Amino acid sequence: MVRLQPDPFLNELTNMFERTTEKGSVWVTLKHSSDKSKVKRNKMKTAGEKIDFKCLIRATDGKKTISTMVGPKDHQRFQSSYATILKARMTALKKRERKDKRKVADSDKKQDKKKQPTKPSN
Amino acid sequence: MVYIESWDDFVEKSVQLFRSDPEKTRYAMKYRHCDGKLVLKVTDDRECIKFKTDQAQDAKKMEKFNNIFFTLMARGPDGNVLAHYCLSSSCLYLGIRVNRNSEFRCNAVNTDISEGGGKEQVEAQAPRRGRGRKQ
Repeated sequence: MVRLQPDPFLNELTNMFERTTEKGSVWVTLKHSSDKSKVKRNKMKTAGEKIDFKCLIRATDGKKTISTMVGPKDHQRFQSSYATILKARMTALKKRERKDKRKVADSDKKQDKKKQPTKPSN
Repeated sequence: MVYIESWDDFVEKSVQLFRSDPEKTRYAMKYRHCDGKLVLKVTDDRECIKFKTDQAQDAKKMEKFNNIFFTLMARGPDGNVLAHYCLSSSCLYLGIRVNRNSEFRCNAVNTDISEGGGKEQVEAQAPRRGRGRKQ
């Protein structure tokens, strides 16, 4: 598990997406974390100290794992860069086209006509 | 693993899960370019909800969802998070109110998720001043 700063993390995340174009997956996990062990957190609680929470972001391609911590001050900047990366990389998803929908609807209608048994003409 | 069909339900339940246990709840996303599939998972290690899709339009919804969770997780569950259901495009727009009375410029209906009211109309905001003509 490699702990990086937010910017190198984003670069490495981009590389991960590039590597898994043909094969493989990218997992990104977000968690609310203080980066301290449970023992230390309990001690801080009983002592009345305020615990600093940040957002822990982890990313993996199945082989390599990277992570970073983002605090409340820089999370806006991070989330916009993150969104840009996702928009640029998630291109394999299907785009819903109305033309396709109409074609599907037309072909369904034709199939329905064929399926209906020939009615006796009155 | 529970797959949820409705996007709005998924978002609502995820936020509820996080608020009920912020220390344990995590949000995971898996993207497979070769299959063109995207799966979102939110769990607190007791309950788990998932959403899967292969539609590009859901990627856009997911971006807004990411914004929600980044804010919740970076600032903590105490942050007042208002959700605006934009009626025209039926998307979930998130505005974040910092404690300094910053205002939103949005005429959509406000829904306060923190009260667990879900889609009920809790407050109906009056049209905002500032931009636009004074009547």
